[in-house]
Amino acid sequence: MSSRRSRSRQSGSSRITEEQISDLVSKLQDLLPEARLQSNARVPSARVLQETCNYIRSLHREVDDLSERLSELLATSDMSSAQEAIIRSLLM
Amino acid sequence: MAVKRTAPSPPTPRPNPNPNRRAPVSGADAASPSKRMLAFHFIRALARIHRSTPVPRRTRTIRRAAYSSMARAANPRRVWSRALLQQMRARRARTRRAAVLRRRVSAAPATPPGGARSITGEDQESTTLAALARTTAAAVPHRQAGEPARADALRRLVPGGNEMEYSNLLEETADYVRCLRAQVQLMQGLVDLFSGR
Repeated sequence: MSSRRSRSRQSGSSRITEEQISDLVSKLQDLLPEARLQSNARVPSARVLQETCNYIRSLHREVDDLSERLSELLATSDMSSAQEAIIRSLLM
Repeated sequence: MAVKRTAPSPPTPRPNPNPNRRAPVSGADAASPSKRMLAFHFIRALARIHRSTPVPRRTRTIRRAAYSSMARAANPRRVWSRALLQQMRARRARTRRAAVLRRRVSAAPATPPGGARSITGEDQESTTLAALARTTAAAVPHRQAGEPARADALRRLVPGGNEMEYSNLLEETADYVRCLRAQVQLMQGLVDLFSGR
């Protein structure tokens, strides 16, 4: 992994090989949720990019939706005690 | 001369009396965002919003806080995190400038829109508006040879994506997706926690 990274850093002459590109694309493919793509199958990179775009858009939408729910919940809940509980549970 | 660092054995954890203090990240993994850092930034922002933001503006403010805390918790060497923070700052400056302009326009006596622009005040406004237009106009994506057409859409989605080389774009996208996912998980966890109370 580190060798690959140092190789790409040396490539100020932009000698990025096709293999490196397809490797990066397969890493993206691994990030996609199961429902969107068969992770075993070999998928053309255009498809991976397409699905990644869709996935990012859906994540943005989730952030919007969760922001709205959080703003509603903030209004009704007691922040300080919940904050303590969260922080404690996260740091344990 | 790069020295290969092996991860040191983790030190014995000291009892942390102050739960609000940032927890030290041992052997920071550059690949995945630290969930604690994410939580720290976002919860701090949430507390501030809870204290001082009026209710009608909260959703928008929380959304912005999600992105800026995500960018702050991320590796600062990432292009997307720097670009995201820049965008936030520019947006804040823009709204401030727009508010100033609105005040100036409403205060000044009625001037014809296409009329004489000899006054320095008019020039300042026009140049400021031109600058605003420049920053808001979509930068032409830098398309490289051999890059699939889909990459254009990706460049628009990933912050700072327009300026990157294709291989960098792929790396940055992977990191961005990981951080986005962690942020969504954090927010979902908070929603569950709050609604469970």
